[in-house]
Amino acid sequence: MGLWLIALLVALVATIQIRSQAEVERSLVGVDPTSLAFLIDDLHRANDSLEAERAELGRRKATLQSGQTGAADQVLRDEAERLRALEGLVPVQGPGVVLVIDASGLSALDLHDALNNFAAAGAEAMDVNGRRVVTGVPVVESSEGVSIDGVVVRSPWTISVIGDSSRLQQVADLMTQQLRADRRVRGASYKVEADVLITSVIGAKPFVYALPS
Amino acid sequence: MSTRSLAGLLAVALVALATGFVLADQVRTQLLTPSNQVGRYQALVRSVQDLEATNADHRRQIAGLRGQIDELEADAAARSATTQSLRSQLTDLRAHAGLIAVHGPGVEVLLRNGVPSSGASNPSGYLVNFQDVQDVVNLLFAQGAEAIAVNGRRITPLTGFSGTEGQILIDQGPPLTSPIKIDAVGDRNRMAAALDDGSKLPGVRAREVQFQLHLTFEGMPDISLPAYDSSLQIPHVSAS
Repeated sequence: MGLWLIALLVALVATIQIRSQAEVERSLVGVDPTSLAFLIDDLHRANDSLEAERAELGRRKATLQSGQTGAADQVLRDEAERLRALEGLVPVQGPGVVLVIDASGLSALDLHDALNNFAAAGAEAMDVNGRRVVTGVPVVESSEGVSIDGVVVRSPWTISVIGDSSRLQQVADLMTQQLRADRRVRGASYKVEADVLITSVIGAKPFVYALPS
Repeated sequence: MSTRSLAGLLAVALVALATGFVLADQVRTQLLTPSNQVGRYQALVRSVQDLEATNADHRRQIAGLRGQIDELEADAAARSATTQSLRSQLTDLRAHAGLIAVHGPGVEVLLRNGVPSSGASNPSGYLVNFQDVQDVVNLLFAQGAEAIAVNGRRITPLTGFSGTEGQILIDQGPPLTSPIKIDAVGDRNRMAAALDDGSKLPGVRAREVQFQLHLTFEGMPDISLPAYDSSLQIPHVSAS
């Protein structure tokens, strides 16, 4: 009788332990709940942007279908103007932030990270010390320091960014806190501005290798 | 011990096991329900899955609308020389913005998770992260890449990379995880030489040694990249 009871107890405890642990491990594999919550936030924002794009494309399609005189030309002109702005081919202005970093020893990777932080926060136009930057513009390490599209940009770096001020401010705030903790950085500060003016432009480069499919 | 006793003991053990499962279910429910740990996690996962499905649906519709608009523009251009000229200018701008599918020679880079290492100061170092993808993309652009796609997501002038641990978010797309395939069209010899240079991509190189993170690449005579299928709105910018 005593042996039976012990066997029952052991089986019970072992089963509880194994099943509970397996359940938790199975459900928590991969991503932790905090990361999932951030992911949900990102996906909500992404879907809102996609919804806005879909609505805009619907309007464009309706205008083209209307067949009104000059409607197609206006649609094409509007899109060309927008694409020139986002590709950095024309001067632009708008609300945003201006971040100044005074440091020695920062690398091209540091500048890439700073620019990417803003890009991920929805930056619509960026400039560093009078050099226009979009994703794809080479930011590399040279013998004289960090260069943007072949031109060296010396400290202090003044990064001007246009976009949603509140999102950009959050990023700038976090970045300045991190930068101030970096021994290489003498100073880091930012300002939110109602109208950031970016006059620098990128020269158009025709494709040599890429052909439309 | 007699055969009969052994059979009895086995029967008891089996009953005990079955009872254990039943009780375990009961106890597990009572243990976990107060914190609702699993339930909450599953709800979060379901939310992500629903949002990803909506995301894919929106992107499909956007690609469809862009195709329809292209046809309508072609019809209008066939009727007007001015429209034809405007459309021609726009085609080039769209190609540079990533809105047109392109093909050409280039390289295909593959990034794959390594192996976890116990006692490492960076426990998630074996995972491919968004900075790795960002660094490879920047390296390829610096070596003259004209167009790049990451797991079929076209990179645009506004592209930003983010994510946590092994999750990689690019613009408004769903999260990507290893393996990550980066296709770039451009001068493949130049891009391949840079990828072969041990002094480039220091973060990846160090983790190749520590965690066996994989980075491989191959030159290709012709790679096809899809068009961007998400939003390129810039509501806060105006021409000055």
